[in-house]
Amino acid sequence: MAEAVTVYTLRLGLEGAIKDVKIEAPAGEPRPWDASAQLRVIGHDTARVDGHLKVRGAAQYTHDVRLEGMLHAAVLRSPHPCCVVDSIDVEPARRRPGVQAAIAVAKAGDRLLFAGQDVAAVAARTRAEARAALAAIKVTYRPAPFVVDTAEAMSPSAPVVHAAGDAVTRRTEGDEPGEGSGGSDKGNVRTTPSMKKGDVQKGLRAAELKHEATYTTQCHTHSALETHSVVVRWEAKDKLTVWSSTQGIFSVRDEMVEIFDLKPRDVAVITEFMGGGFGAKFGASAPGSRLGWIAGELARQAKAPVSLLLDRHEEHVCTGNRPDSIQRVAIGATKAGDLTAIHVVAHGSAGIATGAGVGRNAFGIYSACPNARTESHDVFANTGPGTAFRAPGHPQGAFAVELALDELAAKSGLDPLALRLRNVTHPVRKRQLELGRERFQWAKRRADADARRGRGARVLHGVGVACSIWGDYGRKGAASVTVEVGRDGSVVVKNGVQDIGGGITTVLAMVVAEVLGRSVADVEVKLGRAEFGPSVGSGGSQTTSSVAPAARNAAEQVKAQLLEIAAKALDRKKASEVTLGPDGAFKAASKSIPWADLCKKIPGEAAVATATRPGNYGTAPLNLPSGQSYEIAGCQFAAVEVDTWTGVVRVPEILAIHDCGRAHNPLTTRSQINGGVILGVSYALMEQRVMDRRSGRMLNPNLESYKIAGARDVPTIDVVLTEVFTGGNSTGAIGIGEPATIPTAAAIACAVRHAIGAPVRDLPLTPDRVLAALGRVT
Amino acid sequence: MEPFALIRPANAESARLRVVGAPEQRHLRAAGVDLLDRLKEGLEAGKSVELIELKAIAGAEGQALRAIGPAGDGLGLGALVTLATIAASPALPAPFAALREAAGSAATPSVRNLATLGGNLLQRPRCWYFRSRDQHCLKKGGPACLAEGGENKFHAILGGGPCHIVHPSTLAVALLALGAEVTVLGAAGPRTLGIAELFALPRVDVRRESTLDVGELLTEVRLPAPRPGQRSTYEVAKEKRSHDWPLAEVAVSLVVDGGVIREPRVALGHVAPIPWRATALEEALVGQRPSAELFADKAALATQGARPMAQNAYKVPLAQGLVRAALHRACEIPIPE
Repeated sequence: MAEAVTVYTLRLGLEGAIKDVKIEAPAGEPRPWDASAQLRVIGHDTARVDGHLKVRGAAQYTHDVRLEGMLHAAVLRSPHPCCVVDSIDVEPARRRPGVQAAIAVAKAGDRLLFAGQDVAAVAARTRAEARAALAAIKVTYRPAPFVVDTAEAMSPSAPVVHAAGDAVTRRTEGDEPGEGSGGSDKGNVRTTPSMKKGDVQKGLRAAELKHEATYTTQCHTHSALETHSVVVRWEAKDKLTVWSSTQGIFSVRDEMVEIFDLKPRDVAVITEFMGGGFGAKFGASAPGSRLGWIAGELARQAKAPVSLLLDRHEEHVCTGNRPDSIQRVAIGATKAGDLTAIHVVAHGSAGIATGAGVGRNAFGIYSACPNARTESHDVFANTGPGTAFRAPGHPQGAFAVELALDELAAKSGLDPLALRLRNVTHPVRKRQLELGRERFQWAKRRADADARRGRGARVLHGVGVACSIWGDYGRKGAASVTVEVGRDGSVVVKNGVQDIGGGITTVLAMVVAEVLGRSVADVEVKLGRAEFGPSVGSGGSQTTSSVAPAARNAAEQVKAQLLEIAAKALDRKKASEVTLGPDGAFKAASKSIPWADLCKKIPGEAAVATATRPGNYGTAPLNLPSGQSYEIAGCQFAAVEVDTWTGVVRVPEILAIHDCGRAHNPLTTRSQINGGVILGVSYALMEQRVMDRRSGRMLNPNLESYKIAGARDVPTIDVVLTEVFTGGNSTGAIGIGEPATIPTAAAIACAVRHAIGAPVRDLPLTPDRVLAALGRVT
Repeated sequence: MEPFALIRPANAESARLRVVGAPEQRHLRAAGVDLLDRLKEGLEAGKSVELIELKAIAGAEGQALRAIGPAGDGLGLGALVTLATIAASPALPAPFAALREAAGSAATPSVRNLATLGGNLLQRPRCWYFRSRDQHCLKKGGPACLAEGGENKFHAILGGGPCHIVHPSTLAVALLALGAEVTVLGAAGPRTLGIAELFALPRVDVRRESTLDVGELLTEVRLPAPRPGQRSTYEVAKEKRSHDWPLAEVAVSLVVDGGVIREPRVALGHVAPIPWRATALEEALVGQRPSAELFADKAALATQGARPMAQNAYKVPLAQGLVRAALHRACEIPIPE
């Protein structure tokens, strides 16, 4: 039997091309907010409701948790990039001052695969005592051959990192949903299934214009302000509370349940505030360190709460990273600029882990090209595991394919923007590129820059453009949001989601305020605790699209209850005769009852409803090439200045044009895009893990020589939101967190090529490489 | 980081004597920007550490350590004067602009508010092999310089061997161009030496960058009286616009007299284990009419004798580019667009 549905005719599509579209939503689903919806709160810039707490230092992060009797943990980490543990004795550490527990994490016979891997841990009264006690732990290591460089690791003569079958392809909630699967190994190289359509060899043979080159990108470590941190307190022998700096409260719970064999309801997880996460903070542990088990076991043995906060050095070496890449790109086109083939063969190292693919850019963006193939290989090396990092694979993939396109265009005298416009089919992307062409004054800037280069200027200017691709991964049924209206008129919205800085706290208040005719300040938001109800991890850019529609649905159900009460109070037979105004007053004909008075009539303590959201319905302008989800388009234009005397690249301006469905809170939406752009500038110009090949150690595990963009490196960022009304869920939310960082480095690299007339095919675009590209290094 | 004791000396002499008693554990502390970094990383002896707090020195001596003012024919700057003070000091005349510009470019505003002139000159190098507790390099008593055949992008192209650090002091570069002298307090009382003599190449003593004796304390920097028509400038290139170390830097001082260059002094930083005088270039500039063509033609002399390592050859053109820019500004010839 077909599921019951409600048919709505909605105004959907891209601004300027809105059409009436008939959609079928599951029965009970409210009429989705479409282009014609008149909204009072949603879509208006709203300051973060918790901003004052953060500014005043009143927001409690995991690093701030202080519990009675709390101990501090420190972890002994392997100094060798590869070794076998012959013996380990933690007893001497137990006798050191302040130490309350010591545990071995590795055991005799274990083969440790990277410098920084867990060996043992202690808990002591102070952090200093804990760290000092690590020196007393007696470990005998037998060093083994290792390799830390990706190209070297690909050589058949390189030491083999994993014994056959040892390396398990691992995925996290931070990965792009629907991606990845197993593969076959040869030495350190694991081949993963490729994305393909048509026949690239045929397409290349048919091409009138061809370009082929190799592009490389660096290993990029997560540098969230708050390092990985966990605090564990046992409430009873089978019951515990965990404070965690996490992107996924429920993933923390599930890992602790599994490690300590507990019941889910006996593990409370708290993340009231967290200081940033880019994909490395899922589960109770870090990708390269068993934090959850270490803190939990130390707390169990010491019979006291334990706080385990990583330092910056540990954060760099063992908590995940964006893998590097070596990409061979071959593209072909007709003389007119119609692409005939895009072929990418990528190798990259996620260290001891997997996940070094390069995303969908080459395959999915220039969709008019009939032949495309992306082949990805994971290369194992003796370095800390890679993991999801804001749009996994995509910035690396975008850099290679976009710069290759510009090189092809330059060879044949085509305008790089015109080349892109010819080869995209997504209507929103096309519109974005056209919009950017005007707003960025593409033609004028290009001509000015060309003239400047022609004059032999010292500081050269350039412009570049690149695109992003992502999917709408809002999840069906994953978040259960509860809305309560109390007899005192108070409104509470509850969900066990974490706010990693994107601003979901404010968005939830806005959604509920919108439905219930309240102001944002009237709505109390409770999140950051598993007990507030199931929710999603903040990965895949799915937080708002999974949680906000559920909040609306719950608020609508509460509203229906209130309308029933109001109908009675206003002597109406049916609730449908009553309306709830933006002032919170319930009205029927000439009669009205204010919010506070109506709420007093709520039977019991409160009107309560819990709701979730169904799978996507409605129609979208275009789906991802390989999937059911709506394809989110975006593009960024970069302007650069290159000092040819020093090779220094500056990025004065980025224009970021992104689709984000309906921007619920444009202020925080733009803020997320700003963050994505800044991350991209940093990746383009300076961030780089430097490994010493001889010792196998990271040389810059700090924020001094591992450089991240500072305030003076941040460009003027012009954000344009091209809102698309999808009718896919009740609020029209889709994701923006990840797409916003995909094209930045690629656009900058294209702009540098334009400026100096030569490509820099390796990220980051540091002065040494720019001077070399200028032919000035002999 | 191990606990340490903070000692408040009554005067410079007692500070000096305190260090002499146990130089491995006892460190003079001005702002401690660099010192605390080294203690946290475990690069210094960990036990019974004493930090001798120079800021505790009071009275006339304390005031002198913080003062900028006339000294003889020239100008004296106390060792505890902060970088922020130098960057904004009205006491520094226009011919010393290179020093102001250098001080204002270093680190970040918050570091400049703390960091001192003496500390900047005597800080230890930033080489990542030296700075990492995981690496046992030549400078720390190891068998070899790990930058040789290792990761040497930021290392020396001039004067290197057997260790290849670059000297980290930005102020030293400007002071070298300006012909400064330093006063130090040692066992035999105060002595004065040229700023160039304060530093020594690794081949002299690979463990140290300065020529000071144990416990010897830098108290003052002196600048000679500016010459009529003297001008100076400072230029730097960094990967980040702030809070980064230079890839290379240059300070130029010269006099344009009768349409020709006199008394040129060109100093380079972050290219050698000491602040580096580009004497070949200076000689080539003497008596020449300043012009864009002259600077373009002669800039290569700034790096004469450079022997780059595998990853730092880019510093050669980069330093030359900075030299050109500095000469343009010093001679008031507009830098090309």
